[in-house]
Order: sequence, then structure tokens, then C-alpha cells
Amino acid sequence: MKRTFALVLVLAVALMATPALAQDTLEKIKSSGTLVIGTRTGSPPFAYVNRDNQWVGFTIDLVEMLVKPEIEKAVGKPIKVEKKESTPPTRIPLLSSNAVDLIAGTMTDTPQRRESVDFSLTFFYTGAQFMVKKGSPIKGVNDIAGKRIASQQGSTNAKILREKYPQAQLREFPDQPAAFQALLQGQVDAYTNDGIQLYGLKAKAPKPDEWDVVGDFYSEEPYGMAMRKGDAKFKAVVDAGLKNGFESGKYFEIYEKWFGPKGELPYPITPQVKAYLLKQIGK
Amino acid sequence: MNYTFKWSVLWTGQSGQWLLQGLITTLELSAIAWVLAVVLGILSGALRTVPFRPLRWAATFYVEFFRNVPLLVWMFFWYFGVTPLLPRGAQDWLFNHGLEFWAGTIALGVYHGARMSEVIRSGISAIPRTQFEASLAMGLTTLQAYRLVILPVALRLIVPPGTSESLNLLKNSSVALTISVAELTFQTRQIETYTAKAIEAFTAGTLIYLVLCLSISTIMARVERHYAIPGLISRAQAG
Repeated sequence: MKRTFALVLVLAVALMATPALAQDTLEKIKSSGTLVIGTRTGSPPFAYVNRDNQWVGFTIDLVEMLVKPEIEKAVGKPIKVEKKESTPPTRIPLLSSNAVDLIAGTMTDTPQRRESVDFSLTFFYTGAQFMVKKGSPIKGVNDIAGKRIASQQGSTNAKILREKYPQAQLREFPDQPAAFQALLQGQVDAYTNDGIQLYGLKAKAPKPDEWDVVGDFYSEEPYGMAMRKGDAKFKAVVDAGLKNGFESGKYFEIYEKWFGPKGELPYPITPQVKAYLLKQIGK
Repeated sequence: MNYTFKWSVLWTGQSGQWLLQGLITTLELSAIAWVLAVVLGILSGALRTVPFRPLRWAATFYVEFFRNVPLLVWMFFWYFGVTPLLPRGAQDWLFNHGLEFWAGTIALGVYHGARMSEVIRSGISAIPRTQFEASLAMGLTTLQAYRLVILPVALRLIVPPGTSESLNLLKNSSVALTISVAELTFQTRQIETYTAKAIEAFTAGTLIYLVLCLSISTIMARVERHYAIPGLISRAQAG
């Protein structure tokens, strides 16, 4: 039994020691020549694998066109961007263990998360809604008592429903395809996620007309890129990249490419959201 | 150091309650699946050794079909694949009465039954053929020979590999989180959602699994010693 205890202790120490091997992110990028981002494969149009099997999206473009040039300026040489899959439960550990340098997907900036990671400027703003079959009695968050609601494990929406609407029967799935499949087959009555992601899902569904995205935002979801905590130099570079994008209008060009009338998912930017984004850079 | 540990997240707020609920679900899921796996395993493992070809084939088909497809696929199969085949009324009833749990239990039990079957078959094969023949010579029927002679000895032989397989089953129950079963791993993720302290939450989960598995190993080692037939199983003499 003593030996067992020693083993447990070794394991615990190993677990605690691993993340301590941190280094300056810019130094790391400089020596490896690579910025490793953690992003999504199934969250159109932010980050997803498209019909031609390419891993693309709005957030990935922001990194490639706004953040990457700024990092190149800071380290003084060209760099590559390498993408890795990260999901809500894995993204903070991926950052902490140095497996990725920047989470650039659909991560909501929350006070709890800020205790573990740093966030960039907000690059998108949305809120949680519901996706239902056309004609469903669910019209918003006030109609979900007793209903079976799918959500994504580890998302902020699931947390809010659990706390504020405990009458709903929550079913949590690890990813969007499984949750949508459950909605498709009737295992659940509605699927909740950030509104913009639901529109993305609807657009990609086999029969988009069968689905409705309903309800007012019942949560606020400002998306940010996450970095290891306390690396002020790296954060300054990432923020500078986004700030330049807002100032030069390049951000809005990228927005137009993905969310404009001819984009992957038409979703015009509202004046409030635009004001919210520009307020961050003092405009 | 870029990560600040805050172990208190494990005992403040609802974390303790969640871990306990997760642990209970894991134990329920595993226990029911284990019974299913053992029953299916003994049945198909024994059938694979009987001197009647169609039964051997049926058992072989079950084993090879279920153990050669990943468990994750079986989870989706029972949850997404089987449900639509049921009548509408039955579906609706199941949706409101823990379909996730039962689909997960069946997936786990049937998958591990196929693996358990191989363990049991190897136990039976380890018994000299002459014992079976001697049983028949004493006037026992095939069924009686299996029930009274072959299986009691085989089950003793397979305690160590059977324990390994049972521990695998317990740990594999975590795959059920993919179909929304709120078991232990699911709950550790939940703690992560609330606190953004993933490493602490996962460490708690790891330790709970470790303690559970070590306890089961210890109990099974005792069971093995207790039921050993002196002179038949060599370890009994050493112990």
C-alpha cells in the first residue's frame, strides 16, 4: 500500500510540474518558426473543414491576415501557422501545456476563464439562442421547461441553462454534429448554442428550410483569442494585430468575406456590434 | 509559470456534489454493463467450445462482430442507430426515461461481453479435454458437464484476466459521455466549465478512477485466493 501511495504521489507531482516549463511565447515562435493555434473543425464559418477538405474560417483568416503579420514583425522573420483541433474541455489544457500558443476558434471571454488564460480584444459578439424544427412550440428561453435541450459540453450556454433554467432537461454532447444528430432524430426538442453558430449549422444542414433559429439572446458571448496567462508581450502583439485590423478596415473586409451577402453565411454586422468592437480601440 | 493552481475548486461550490453524482452514475453504468458482459461472455465463451458447429458459429460471429468495432461507434449505434427503428411511442417514452443511460449501458455491456467471451474461452481451453470426456463418461450430459465441471474450474482460472477486463469496462464507461451520460469524466469536464480549472478537475477524475480500480483489484485478488482449489491452481500453493 505504501508503494501505491508513492506512485500516486509521483503522478500528482508529474501532473503539477508539467505546465511549469513555460517559456516566452514569442521566443518559442521565433525558435520554431511556427505559430500553433488551437481551433475548431466543425464550427462554420469560424473554423471548419469545408467541402474541398480545407481547414478554413473567419477566425483562421483573422489569425492569418491580422495576427500573423504582427508576430512576424515582432520576431523579425516569416512564420508558419499550424492548426490543431481544440474543443471546449481541451483548449485551456492545450494552452497551459504549450501544445498550442493561441486559441482561435469560438471561445467566449468569461471572468472564470480569465483566471486561467488571457484574452485578446473581442473579435466577434453573439449570444445564445435555440435551433428547433420549424413549427416547434419553443420560441425562446421561456418555453423550455420540461423540454429536452441539447447543448455542447463545456460551453457557457449549458452553464447558464443549468443555473437559471433548471426545469429544462439538459443533454450535453461533446460536439456540434452529435448534438445536431440528436435534434434531427428527436432525442432532443431543441439545440442551444451561440446564435451565429446555429445559423452556420442551419446553412450547412441537408434541408436548411426545416430548421429555425429562435429566441432572443439569453447570454452574452464575446469571442476572444486566448493566450497563456501573464505573457504580456505576446498579448500586446496579438491585440495590436486585431487593433490594426479594426483601424484599417481589414477586419471588416474579412467579416464581409465570410458574413457578407456573398459570404459563407450572410449575417450583417449590426451597428451595436460594430460600435462594441470599435469601442475597444477607443473609437 | 503560466498556470495558477487552485485546488480549492474541487471542494468549493458544487464540485463535490457533481463528482459524487458522476461517481454514482459511473458505478451504476459499469455494474449493470458488467453483469450483461459476464452473462453474454459466459454464454458465448462456452458456446464457442461446444461440439456443435452452428452454435459455435453464432458465438464466433457475435464475438468478432462486436469486439472489432470501436466502442465509440457502438455508443452511437445504440443511441442514434437503434432508436429510430423503434415505434414512435416507444421512442418518445425512451427519450424521457434515460435513453442515454440505457444505450450507454447496452453498448458497454455488449462490447465487453464479446471481449469477456474470449477470456472465458481461454479459461475453458486451459482445462484438459479429458475432464470433459471423463464427465461424460460418468453419465453427465453436455450441459451438466459444463455447468458442474468445466465452468466452475474455468471461472477460477480466469479471475486475473477477468479482473483486467472488468477494470477496462469501468474505465471505458467514460466513453458514454459522448452520448450525454453524466458520468464521472463528464462531471470533471463540468467542473472545468464552471471554473476553467481543467488540470485540477482532470486530476480529481484520474485519482477517483485510480482508487476505484485499485480497490477492485484488491478485492479480486482476495476472491482469487478464497476460491482457489488447492492443488489445481498453482498460485494457491504459493499463497
